[in-house]
Amino acid sequence: MRIALAIGTFLILVIHGIVFYNQFGHPWERNQNTYFDQAKVLAKTDTEKAALAGRKPRIEQIVVSNFGETRFDRCTTCHIASDDPRFSSHAEPVKTHPYSPTLGDTQKNGKWERRHKFSEFGCTVCHDGQGRGLDAEYSHGKDEYWPDPLLGFTTQDHWRKDHAPKLKGKEYMQANCAQCHTDVDFPGTAQVNRGRQLFFSNNCYGCHRIEGLSDGTIGPDLSDVGRKWKLDYLWGRIADPKFILPTSIMPKFNMKDDEIKALVIFLKSRKGRNFAETEIQRFKVKLTGGAELVQATIKPMKINPGEMVKQGEKLVLDRACTACHKLGNRDGGIAPDLSFEGQLRDGDWILAHFKNPKSTMSDSIMPAFRFTDDEFKAMTAYLLTLKGQPTPATGEAIYKNLCLRCHGEKGDGQGPIAERLDPYPRDLTKAGFMNSKSEARLVSSVRNGVNGTSMPAWGKLVTEEQAKTVLAYIQTTFTKDPRREIKARAIPEKNPVAYSTESVTRGEALFVNRCAGCHGRKGDGKGPNSLDILPKPRNLRNAFFVNSVDDKRLFESIQYGVQGTAMPPWIDYGLSNNDVGDLVNFIRSINPKPKGGQNAGAIQ
Amino acid sequence: MAVNLKRTSAEDSEGGRTSRRRMLGWLTGAGLAGSAGLSAVSNFVFIKPRATYGQPQRFSVGKPEDFPSGTRAILAPRGICIVREGSKLAAISITCTHLGCTVGAADTGFACPCHGSRFDQDGNVTGGPAPRPLPWFQVTLAPNGEIEVDKDIEIAPGSYLTI
Amino acid sequence: MSLSTPPKASFLASLMDFPRNVWKSIFRNPLPSNDLERSATSFTNFFLHIHPVKVHKNSLRPLYTFGLGLISFFLFVILIVTGILLMFYYVPATSQAYDRMLDLRGSVAFGTLLRNMHRWGAHGMVAIVFLHLCRVFLTGSYKKPREFNWVVGVILFLLTLFMSFTGYLLPWDQLAFWAITVGTAIAGYAPVVGKDIQFLLMGGTSVGQEALLRFYVLHVAVLPAVLTLMIAIHFWRIRKDGGLSRPEDADPVISLEAMPTVKASVLEPKKTYGLQGLVRGPLTKVGEIPDNTVFSWPNLFLAELFTFVVTLSAILVVSLLFNAPLEEPVNALHPPNPAKAPWYFLGLQEMVSYSAFWGGIGVPTIFVLLLLGAPYLDRGPGGVGKWFSRDRLLANTIFITFVVANIIFVIIGTFFRGANWAFVTPW
Repeated sequence: MRIALAIGTFLILVIHGIVFYNQFGHPWERNQNTYFDQAKVLAKTDTEKAALAGRKPRIEQIVVSNFGETRFDRCTTCHIASDDPRFSSHAEPVKTHPYSPTLGDTQKNGKWERRHKFSEFGCTVCHDGQGRGLDAEYSHGKDEYWPDPLLGFTTQDHWRKDHAPKLKGKEYMQANCAQCHTDVDFPGTAQVNRGRQLFFSNNCYGCHRIEGLSDGTIGPDLSDVGRKWKLDYLWGRIADPKFILPTSIMPKFNMKDDEIKALVIFLKSRKGRNFAETEIQRFKVKLTGGAELVQATIKPMKINPGEMVKQGEKLVLDRACTACHKLGNRDGGIAPDLSFEGQLRDGDWILAHFKNPKSTMSDSIMPAFRFTDDEFKAMTAYLLTLKGQPTPATGEAIYKNLCLRCHGEKGDGQGPIAERLDPYPRDLTKAGFMNSKSEARLVSSVRNGVNGTSMPAWGKLVTEEQAKTVLAYIQTTFTKDPRREIKARAIPEKNPVAYSTESVTRGEALFVNRCAGCHGRKGDGKGPNSLDILPKPRNLRNAFFVNSVDDKRLFESIQYGVQGTAMPPWIDYGLSNNDVGDLVNFIRSINPKPKGGQNAGAIQ
Repeated sequence: MAVNLKRTSAEDSEGGRTSRRRMLGWLTGAGLAGSAGLSAVSNFVFIKPRATYGQPQRFSVGKPEDFPSGTRAILAPRGICIVREGSKLAAISITCTHLGCTVGAADTGFACPCHGSRFDQDGNVTGGPAPRPLPWFQVTLAPNGEIEVDKDIEIAPGSYLTI
Repeated sequence: MSLSTPPKASFLASLMDFPRNVWKSIFRNPLPSNDLERSATSFTNFFLHIHPVKVHKNSLRPLYTFGLGLISFFLFVILIVTGILLMFYYVPATSQAYDRMLDLRGSVAFGTLLRNMHRWGAHGMVAIVFLHLCRVFLTGSYKKPREFNWVVGVILFLLTLFMSFTGYLLPWDQLAFWAITVGTAIAGYAPVVGKDIQFLLMGGTSVGQEALLRFYVLHVAVLPAVLTLMIAIHFWRIRKDGGLSRPEDADPVISLEAMPTVKASVLEPKKTYGLQGLVRGPLTKVGEIPDNTVFSWPNLFLAELFTFVVTLSAILVVSLLFNAPLEEPVNALHPPNPAKAPWYFLGLQEMVSYSAFWGGIGVPTIFVLLLLGAPYLDRGPGGVGKWFSRDRLLANTIFITFVVANIIFVIIGTFFRGANWAFVTPW
């Protein structure tokens, strides 16, 4: 006991000794002593030498209160020679901070004068890093929790090994220059400006919002992205969106490294407190979605009526349409194939879709890009010329060419782009569904398309015979269940309940009670159960779809359910014809009546 | 149970054991005392800040051209008065040596508003309760051409920096 | 100690004796060499007089108590000392708190070490207090007459948790901010008064400057005061309840037949403090009963010193080797993913992920009520002073079930929860 006690106390004494010892002989003291010694050699006068002799190592700091919250920059504790021009050829940390005309420094009688005086600006305003730290690891921001490591100088250990070397370089500091130098054509922030141009020319603005620049809503708001994320994350998300976030729907733009770098620098400069954009400009962006800004940045193309198709082609290829869409052998893997667009859609539809994608398809995720009308017309003209390859003969070939991109290799509706489509492509392996619909109905779906969904009308490409061939192929390969005769069902041809406010109210009550779990209280198909259901519940506010089907079809789906989906036959759960009539009236009531014209359903 | 009042107990008769116990006791005591001493010292080291939150003690006040000959510029936030006569330059404290008020400029030098201490132009006491002249701080011409004042280093009054 | 009047001292002699007299007036006894002085040392010293003069051998068995209660107390002392030191540099303001952490790590001498000691000491205290609670339960030590002291102990455990919880916010980093946001939200689920408690804790509708100030005051003033008072009561009751619990057969069985002349007062073998009267007055001869007690000096005090030395060195070594984490500065718009509470609350967080009310309020309340009520519900006399006594199979089983369940939840919460609190496997 007593021996253990003696050993224990001895141990404590040793630990105290270690702790105590650790407090002395800091690297910064050594650095300062080195500086004093060398300065003494360089000193010319005795007073200078005497002044140096009086200096002892201590913590130097610059208190900066001009830029946001007061900063305490203690960097000059180690970098003590940063403002001493005699040390320009020494090694860090006892080295002169370089003078450069690009930093605004001026030379007078052979002596440099700084534009940004350290006593006013400190260090971290430009360099980032942790001003209060006193050892290199912490003050340079090596610590993985520190949000701002030295811009372009320090990479953190947990950063991706293949990206980290690309994140070094002085040019990254332009992001901080741009905090004050907000002029678009400021020569010192060339990379920021290039990044801004890329932000527009690669259509980033279509999905992302940046206060004062753009108003996209599909992707995250990037207004203060530079404050939230470190370089590594920004680079990673642009270079390989799915690596960091597997569920990301952002396309992989396959940009060159220098383009990514410019974009990263631009994004790093967005710290939510840039004042380049005046209030009026911000207000305009709110009003117009930034069309003027986009067009001012990426120089709209002058459209010559004689060369519309050619210019349109150039535009489609230049403006990164293939980051999402497929065209020839370019494939973004996110949106439908445009190779046969001229056969599937007409010019009005395409133009309207360009200007406001949701005006032709309620749940399209395509952003509304801010090109000029002339540009849109040229692009439309080009798309109309796309006729694709002649339709092959066998069912299998037709399926692979036209259907696979959405319906998938296995016909299960899980094609490469399926998860971006709303509604989902039909799962063709579900025999229940396939066999519950007449062949005529299926052929019609193929040849006339399904309104309000991504299923286009293939009529110009696929004859009735070919449609039957491909359906037969689907039946044998995917559905695997021989077709059976459909039992005749007692479905009213017309809604037995007249449309009236009372009927709609009754229908709404029923809907909330019975349907909202999957279809959502608003009928938008986003009820709480919808997460677990495939295919997803129908969005009943998709006016294009709802208005394209007649009451009989709605009755059939509600009363007898949709086989192969989660929709049950409600006739088994006690819904009378009149109840269903009320429901149908309610569903009609939440979808505006068509007022004629192809895009009638768009007015919501 | 009996209360044993005898000075020797059974264990004490074994002399070797006693001395070993004593030594261990001393060791333990020394260890504890040493640790306590070190902790006490550490605590004083700990509460003495190495970096303060005020303005730094060593700072630059500008170029020599900013102070033409004959200047007596009081830099109140810095607590100094920059004096330039011809090519000679000095920094005099404006903190009264009596009880720490900030002295103001007067025709004859400096005057303290709190208890009436008076100083001449070089900071020597000419009246009032102030016990010592105003200190002079070290002024150096930094390599980048600016004047640096170090309030941590006092120099003898009357020693100027010659530019 | 002589009662005879001292001779008139000359002034010179008084001066000569000055140092010795000052010393003697402070330390009234020399290093004890006989039993009388051993007892006197115990009860004439302010810091030692809370101890009994003699202590039961069973209480000194290391494997009986593992010194857990004492370790908890020493950790508390270490935390008080390091905490007070840290207060010299801390500012409870949202704009400064995190920067002050950086300063402690960077420019303040010993800052890192003191912060480490405070953080690891706090973690250790939560763990050791809980183990102490387990020890007391599993040895059945809460039984009569120690019921109330058990209740005080449970309150001390809760106070320790709350102490740790309030300390968590002070660094004002991401971990702190979101742990407290979640913690106060859990309080909001308490019936009737929940919302008011949440509002009082946060001093507003969200965690911000007011919350930081309130947590600071709770952490450095209110809770330590309450904790100190409760610890004093806890210690006092140990003495008044007859020392540490021990099995019945640890005391000699006194047969009244065999010792007809023994005074009645001796029949209370647990009453050790009566000895003070015994040694003060003229010698009293008491019965020659087999005695299982030993003098506190040096046996108990050496054991305590040893425990202290072990505790302190453990904390020092851990603090030298591992730095207390400091995450990103607070970003109120962007929680880390996953946002995890400190490990001892991860069981709670895991339960909360199933039901905020039942996980955060219901189950913990039931557990605490069961703990508080244990001595009054379990009145069986058997099994006191023995680990895992067969007489207490039911009570011990229920208790261990709760403990193991919580440990499992903590393990799941610590290792098996990833982003968005989704289940992940750590390998």
